[in-house]
Amino acid sequence: MAAIEFLDVSYTVPGGAQILDHVSLVIGEGEVVALVGRSGAGKTTLLRLVNRLLEPDAGRVVVGGRDAREWEPIRLRRSIGYVIQDAGLFPHFTVADNIAVVPRLEGWDDARIRSRVDELLQLTGLPPAVYADRWPGELSGGERQRVGVARALAADPAILLMDEPFGALDPVTRAELQSEFRGVQRRLRKTVILVTHDMREALSLADRVAVMESGEIIACDAPPAMLASGDARVRKLLEAVTVPFSQDS
Amino acid sequence: MRLVEFWLSHRNELLTLIGQHILLVGTATLVAVAIGVPLGVFAARRPRMSAPLVGFANMVQTVPSLAMFGFLLPVPLLGGIGPRTAVVVLILYGLLPIVRTTIAGLNGIPAPVREAGVAMGMTPRQLLQQVELPLALPSIVAGVRVAAVVGVGSATIAAAIGAGGLGEYIYRGLSMVDTTVILAGAIPAAVLALVVDGGLLWVERRLGSRRSHRRLGLTAGAASCIAVLLWGGALLAGRGSETIVVGSKNFTEGVILGEIVAQTIERETGLAVQRRFNLGGTLICERALLNGDIDVYVEYTGTALTAIFRQPLGQDPAAVLTTVRESYARSGRAVLDPLGFDNTFAILVRGRDARALALRTIDDAARHTSGWRAGFGYEFLERPDGYQGLASTYGLRFLEPPRVMDLTLTYRALASGQVDLIAGDATAGLISALDLVPLEDNRQYFPPYDAVPVGRSDMLLRYPQVRAALETLAGRISADRMREMNHAADAGREDPSAIARRFLSELR
Repeated sequence: MAAIEFLDVSYTVPGGAQILDHVSLVIGEGEVVALVGRSGAGKTTLLRLVNRLLEPDAGRVVVGGRDAREWEPIRLRRSIGYVIQDAGLFPHFTVADNIAVVPRLEGWDDARIRSRVDELLQLTGLPPAVYADRWPGELSGGERQRVGVARALAADPAILLMDEPFGALDPVTRAELQSEFRGVQRRLRKTVILVTHDMREALSLADRVAVMESGEIIACDAPPAMLASGDARVRKLLEAVTVPFSQDS
Repeated sequence: MRLVEFWLSHRNELLTLIGQHILLVGTATLVAVAIGVPLGVFAARRPRMSAPLVGFANMVQTVPSLAMFGFLLPVPLLGGIGPRTAVVVLILYGLLPIVRTTIAGLNGIPAPVREAGVAMGMTPRQLLQQVELPLALPSIVAGVRVAAVVGVGSATIAAAIGAGGLGEYIYRGLSMVDTTVILAGAIPAAVLALVVDGGLLWVERRLGSRRSHRRLGLTAGAASCIAVLLWGGALLAGRGSETIVVGSKNFTEGVILGEIVAQTIERETGLAVQRRFNLGGTLICERALLNGDIDVYVEYTGTALTAIFRQPLGQDPAAVLTTVRESYARSGRAVLDPLGFDNTFAILVRGRDARALALRTIDDAARHTSGWRAGFGYEFLERPDGYQGLASTYGLRFLEPPRVMDLTLTYRALASGQVDLIAGDATAGLISALDLVPLEDNRQYFPPYDAVPVGRSDMLLRYPQVRAALETLAGRISADRMREMNHAADAGREDPSAIARRFLSELR
């Protein structure tokens, strides 16, 4: 069954430019789909239609078999994990409190929250004894991003939306987190939409890569097929990464 | 040294005034927070609203506080004399910094943080309570700090409309030209401002370090509730039904007469008396009496005739008294019997000049004024029985337009040679103390100014014993005796309440 379906979706900024132009994309359960393209291609906009941060002006978005418009937005958002570039942690909450945001909103009891927070800190490679009571301001960029992922996973959502999650990290840390992401995903099997402008990241993490340009999906395929694509626009994106990528694959 | 003695001998009063001051500022700041923060939240969400809102608050801020008190005096519900008006004014002043810092604090929240909250499924209310307000809190507290510190300063001016607080000492000191008394009020006010500033700065820093929000929130909440309860208590205790409120004008003689009236009522009737002294001018006293904010104060017949009732000048004391009595009666006030002295305006020159130029009358002086400078109080320049008429009656012309200054400062300005002619009170104690000479009003320009207690008729009907008590004062205060008492306060630095007590004990 499809977890997320974009059916002929268009989006125009009120009184401004058209960002999405009749986009269709079906994402299966447990699938990782990367949206790749340059800035302004419409990747983030497409992502935000899923949890109704934005509403399409034409077409339908279906989440978990139901039209997104039928979902109560608050309910919908709490059942979808969301990770953004600078993590967006609450600076006035400790690491543990940041991770516990959605469980608290959902009214979990304290004991359950505590054990869930510990479990997620372990999962994301942050020993709870060291990190639970620290403040976001005291963490490195990589640590903050791990907390961001842990927070998104807190209420065990079936869907994870990730907007440039590793974009602000140095190359070493990025590679480390990417590899851990693969490990976590192998265990959890979430449905993931990953927005990135880095083709290399897309090819290494995703089951399928959708290339966007000017509000349209111009190609969508599994990484090996994508590498073999003859489309000039896709080749242009690939050129930047092909050589190093083929070396370590 | 005298300052410390003053504080020690007035320590109960000092503590009361500090308490009133804190209560005024505390209440006003709390209400300003209660209004300002929601306004700020509202404006931050609608950027189009925020410019006009901040603009309006800015405009309010630029109105001088004394003028603001003046505007509010005639306004029903909010206005009148007393702490209520003061609190309203302080709230208006406090709004701007609080609204502005609330908007700034909310706008300063990084977009990803807010977005994360929305995307995690927070309702707008949850987002506001759990994310936006806590993050804006240090900025909001900075605004509260500014509001409170400005409030401590502005509240001193509130004494002019009878709101109490440390401004009472400042006004009393100004009217007695006694620096010690001014400092007795100004120093605690400054210390209070520093303490408030330091305390809130500490809170702000603590909040900035992102710890223990919940505990601080609870503490602040509890403190607010206590302050409001205190305020409620103070309001209830402020005026019981059996309390007579005695007012006074803001110069030495007014305060002494206020004390004499207050102590007479206390002694003769046993009723509780509340003192609202140093009200800033004739028309403020008039308004207060009309509104029932005070029950009785001492006015002068000529002043009432010209300044309050805008009648033409009259020369016959009995006729003036009758006119004034009838005018007051029409608006529910009764004029009691004159106290016995006429505090006319005295046109004063230095004794040295008077002797050298052989000056006896104002006509004598008119020959020299073209080379002189004059200094007058604010009221004298404006009143119908003031400068304009005097100048045309006697053909006075001065070297330059008269200087405007506080009435009580004119005596010293004359003595020290800064001006050469002033219009003082005939009974001013400083006249003999500073070797000043009153000139005879040989053309009888000034109307009689017999001192008379004026009271609200409803109060006098309800408490006939008050009328009886005040009648014991009729004709008992001579001009000499009044001048002596003024001198004891101005030159002898004696306390008005002690002077009144001595006078009343001699009267028996």
